[in-house]
Amino acid sequence: MDSDAVKKTIIKQALQATNTANARTLIENINEKCFERCVPKPGSSLSSGEQTCLTSCMEKYMAAWNEVNATYIRRIQQEMGNQSLFKQ
Amino acid sequence: MSSSDFSIEQSDLEKLSDKDKTELRQFFANEEQRSRIQSQTHELTGICWKKCITSSTIKSGALDKGEQNCLANCVDRFMDANLATMKHLASMRQQH
Repeated sequence: MDSDAVKKTIIKQALQATNTANARTLIENINEKCFERCVPKPGSSLSSGEQTCLTSCMEKYMAAWNEVNATYIRRIQQEMGNQSLFKQ
Repeated sequence: MSSSDFSIEQSDLEKLSDKDKTELRQFFANEEQRSRIQSQTHELTGICWKKCITSSTIKSGALDKGEQNCLANCVDRFMDANLATMKHLASMRQQH
């Protein structure tokens, strides 16, 4: 391996690690929030209503994550714009 | 991220040119920021989900307009509250 190949390997492994960790946290949170919301009284098995709720909830949670992320980034950029230090 | 996430030999690391080392430092600085933003997003999503997604069963996977507005307001007001707390803290420190 030359320097460029070593660099690319490090970047690839780093991205894989952070992306995996991010996905794991997201899934843990989805499980927690959607179980709480969709299965208020656990029965002997998941009903079809509960299963439908769980899949909608998962999609909605991901949409909420994206909305929150976009708003948060917009806000950070706005705050940084207010500080002349960060102005280009 | 920890060293166990990487499978690379010490002998390969020594091959890195100064230019590539600088590039990698920049890459990791960016990744650190991206990672901080992502973990704050996880936290905020949890907080705002509780406040904005209030129906007892979830029928649609998409956000409706009301939910979307509520989430955006929730993030902005959380940041305002955070700033207000910091500001008040600073004034309390001056008094003592």
